[in-house]
Amino acid sequence: MLDFEALKNEALKAIGEADEKSLDDLRIEYLSKKGKVQSLMAQMRDLSAEEKPKFGQMVNDLKNAISEAMDKKKEELESALMNARLLSEKVDITLDAYKPRSGNLHPLTLVQKEIEDIFIGMGYNVAEGPELESDLYNFTKANTPEGHPARDMQDTFYVDPSHLLRSQTTAIQMRVLEQQADKLPIKVICPGKVYRRDDDDATHSHQFIQCEGLVVGENITVADLKGTLELMIREMFSKDAKIRFRPSYFPFTEPSFEVDMTCHICHGKGCPTCKGTGWIEILGSGMVHPNVLEMAGIDSKKYTGFAFGVGIERVAMLKYGITDIRDLYTNDIRFLEGFKR
Amino acid sequence: MKLSLNWLSNFIDLKDLSVEQIVDQMVECGFEVEAVDRMSEGTKLIVGKVIECKDHPNSDHLHVTKTDIGSEVLDIVCGAPNCREGLKVIVAQVGAKLPGGEIKASTIRGENSNGMLCSLKELGIDENLLPADSCSHTGIEELDDRFNVGDTDVLKKLGYDDTILDVSIYANRPDCLSMYAMACEMGAILSRKVTLPDFAGKANIGTKSDFKLSSVSKNCPHFLAKVVNNVTIKESPEWMKQHLRANGVKCINNLVDISNYVMLETGQPLHFYDLRSNPSKEITVRDDYEGKYTALDGIEYDIEKGDLMITSDNKPIGIAGIMGGDNTKILDDTTSLIIEAALFDHAQIRRTANRLGLQTEAAARFAKGLEPMAQNKAMDRAVELLIELADAKDFEETVEYGKPDYEPYEIKETLSHLNALIGKEYTMDEAVAVMHRLGFECRVEGDSFITSIPSYRASDLKIPEDIDEEIVRLTDFDDLKSTLPLMPQTVGKLSNIQNIRRVIRDILTGHGFYDTINYTLVNKKYIDESLLPSGSAVEMLSPLSDARRYTRTSLMNSLLETLSYNLDHNNENVDLFEISKIYSDKGEEERLGIIMEGSFISDKVKHLEVKTDFYVLKGLLTQLLDQLGFEMNGRVSVHENELDVRHFHPYQSAVLMMDNKVLGIFGKLHPNYLKSMKLNDVYYAEMMLDVLSDAKPAKIKAPVVSKYPSISRDISLMLKEDVKVADLLSSIRKAGGKLVKNCEVFDVYQGEHIEKGYKSVSLNIVYEDKEKTLKTEDVNEVHDRVLNDLTSRFDAKQR
Repeated sequence: MLDFEALKNEALKAIGEADEKSLDDLRIEYLSKKGKVQSLMAQMRDLSAEEKPKFGQMVNDLKNAISEAMDKKKEELESALMNARLLSEKVDITLDAYKPRSGNLHPLTLVQKEIEDIFIGMGYNVAEGPELESDLYNFTKANTPEGHPARDMQDTFYVDPSHLLRSQTTAIQMRVLEQQADKLPIKVICPGKVYRRDDDDATHSHQFIQCEGLVVGENITVADLKGTLELMIREMFSKDAKIRFRPSYFPFTEPSFEVDMTCHICHGKGCPTCKGTGWIEILGSGMVHPNVLEMAGIDSKKYTGFAFGVGIERVAMLKYGITDIRDLYTNDIRFLEGFKR
Repeated sequence: MKLSLNWLSNFIDLKDLSVEQIVDQMVECGFEVEAVDRMSEGTKLIVGKVIECKDHPNSDHLHVTKTDIGSEVLDIVCGAPNCREGLKVIVAQVGAKLPGGEIKASTIRGENSNGMLCSLKELGIDENLLPADSCSHTGIEELDDRFNVGDTDVLKKLGYDDTILDVSIYANRPDCLSMYAMACEMGAILSRKVTLPDFAGKANIGTKSDFKLSSVSKNCPHFLAKVVNNVTIKESPEWMKQHLRANGVKCINNLVDISNYVMLETGQPLHFYDLRSNPSKEITVRDDYEGKYTALDGIEYDIEKGDLMITSDNKPIGIAGIMGGDNTKILDDTTSLIIEAALFDHAQIRRTANRLGLQTEAAARFAKGLEPMAQNKAMDRAVELLIELADAKDFEETVEYGKPDYEPYEIKETLSHLNALIGKEYTMDEAVAVMHRLGFECRVEGDSFITSIPSYRASDLKIPEDIDEEIVRLTDFDDLKSTLPLMPQTVGKLSNIQNIRRVIRDILTGHGFYDTINYTLVNKKYIDESLLPSGSAVEMLSPLSDARRYTRTSLMNSLLETLSYNLDHNNENVDLFEISKIYSDKGEEERLGIIMEGSFISDKVKHLEVKTDFYVLKGLLTQLLDQLGFEMNGRVSVHENELDVRHFHPYQSAVLMMDNKVLGIFGKLHPNYLKSMKLNDVYYAEMMLDVLSDAKPAKIKAPVVSKYPSISRDISLMLKEDVKVADLLSSIRKAGGKLVKNCEVFDVYQGEHIEKGYKSVSLNIVYEDKEKTLKTEDVNEVHDRVLNDLTSRFDAKQR
């Protein structure tokens, strides 16, 4: 019996000291058919019939114990090996050794996309129109006939006596009204480039982007206009923004309003951005003038509508703190790369 | 519009209102106040008398004075040349706040000075507002006998205590350019009673007149004239001068001042002609005069056909609505005059004033539009003032050409329509109260309220919605609730081209490109060097400058300029694109321009470098088209560039065609073209987005993945260098039939070990049968066919 205990201790000791290679040798030495454990079976012959099963059991137990110890050791050795390998592969996580190139949208494209997505989510379509436009759509149908004083407000780029680079995206609205006069209601936004004969400086650009909105249907009210604009301003600037309407004048809306929002920097407390007033002028709006509806062939007794227009540059400048509008048209990538979203 | 609060207070009691309160109310009611100008500024001012004036011992121009201000005698050093003993002066005492700063007790070159003797300019008064003979132009102001030592209301007494609001007037409210109409408006804004002088009918005097009036132009619908045979020229009274000065109008004499004053009051520009110098007792408005004419500013103007001219006996006597003539102007000895109060077409006056560069107050008022009754009102008021201030006598009756375009009318609005439009619950009392504040007569009939519109609001108030705006404007509007339109649900979505733009932007920005927006208007060089223009550039009739004279007909030069700008500012590896419409006489089209320079991939730590070349650009375009559903070498075909080798490298550029239309052109730009811009190795693509958006992309169809293994074979061929890879690939597909699953080039080599004029091309072909496992012998058979085909067709040798 001593043989068992001694053999077990001897084997476990050897396993404990083994490395990868010697562990395989030990497996042969102890557990192979001619190995030390199996050879114990030779003693079976001398045993009585009652003792034989007991002895067999003991040999089996010894075999299992050594095998288990070997498996365990093997696992330990493999794990150590893996750890060593992993350690040798350690990287410097602070090093940037691969910089995938990424460009980004122009800030004006970014703002336009944001506005488009807000309104698409509310079921609006995005309408477009020609930039080289007839004065019919740019002015006349927008209730601004030849000689109207409002034509004086915007010095425009005419290309012939009746065509111009459009001075306002209102021209798109007028086309939509006409095209959809018999397919009401209308819910569109109209983004696009517009042009005015202004000399370029920090706050003026002869080319800029507007986005106008137009809703025409039954029972559309100023309150609907307010709710819609409030939603847009809150999405774009700040969830707690409030808006207020100030009376204004546009030939194609009646009544007309300038819309102020609470300053997104100071939230209405007053700061340099809002010149201490807490309010920032952000867009123009109003109820579509009955003359405009009638000219498009829409019954102004039955249908009403609202319209608004926002300058994309103005929104971008306010939102991102841009102080010179010309930066938006210089396309210096050191400027452009600041608008990754 | 300059609004003098002193003048306004003649019509409305403003006593208990601060300037800030007035401005706030105006802003809420739709008037933007752009500036608040205090005509003068100065605290602690007092009238003093110089009782002693000596030369300063240490200066060649300073004086040392003793100045009596009643309560004490101050030592004051003064540098004004007119400073002398006995003078009554304005003294700013120590602690006075003036535009230039605070007055402190000091010592000037050893002499004590406890205050300052002031010029009106030092009190912030604009030099242009000073009378011509004012001492303040060159020295300190000299006060007359009206002032007593110790008086502190010196600015008020001088008429310089006014506050002027610079109010911007919307185009629909030209009536507000008249003081009387503005007073009515302010009464409505401030809810105060307005008292205006009543001068109606004052011009209905005079003897029978044989003066004749006519117009040969339709652009003068109404003209009133009146002959006054006896007037006396003198200085205008102080109150009138103050009001004129406050409005920035120079005071000349009572006649000129009256014509200006009445214009400010009524909005109607008047003109007085000296009766003596008028060629005959006749005035005709003409628009057929051509030639030079000297206006009363002494400048000679070129008058063209269409310009409205006032003529008498066929000789011009004034540029209608803009400026009177030199030959008929009021002189110092004028004793008789013709009063003109006329209406001229606003658009024509604007055109002429713009062309002549002659922007007078009169022209501005005509250009914005006059109220229809203005001529009659102004004539009445002018007659009243001429009698009062110029001892006018011997009037002839007023003669009239045409008539005013106004009949009294009413607008009927209902409370229910008002509330339905606004989304608010106004009561009838609220609505009517606004009409009354405006001074309008208004009566209620059931749900309706019916308002009489006075002549001065006729251009602006025409339909019920105009009345609604007045109510909204003049009542508190901050409590309006926010709602969203109630209407059938609609699906909002982007159009095809809008989607295409987004896909392109996503892909290109993902590859490191920056989205740019450049100007539409460009110079002549851009037009001359345009890339595949579809027509001639459109020229602006009145461009801002030559640099922005034409619409661009391609995007290439804009992107080249932007690229140059970036390279000049040390930006490296600049890859840019722009999506924009372009314009020619053939209409508008939309294009995508892509410009690349330097390395496409560059990472020094990893020693990674992919230089941008033709193939990089081509690969990007292939991916772009793939993502849009158009397969390169499928529906899109690549062709030798025969369209534009002026701007492109003839052997490193290609044209893309789709559905028999040119889809784009791309490749390396021609070194010759880049030379002038000091650029090298620039790659450029311009794509016609309309071709893409007009085409239907391939429908997505799920691929069938074979269950059986494929077999891959490589071939290396020695070929003449001008053999095109695309021809090899199509030949392989043709010879291999449907078993060829894929074939592609994995190496192209020219150089050492390869005979000159030849190249080595290595290809990989993958064979696959979707029905069964391919046997080697099946593949061998096909592969041999492919090889034979290649060698015979292209004179290729297998390596």
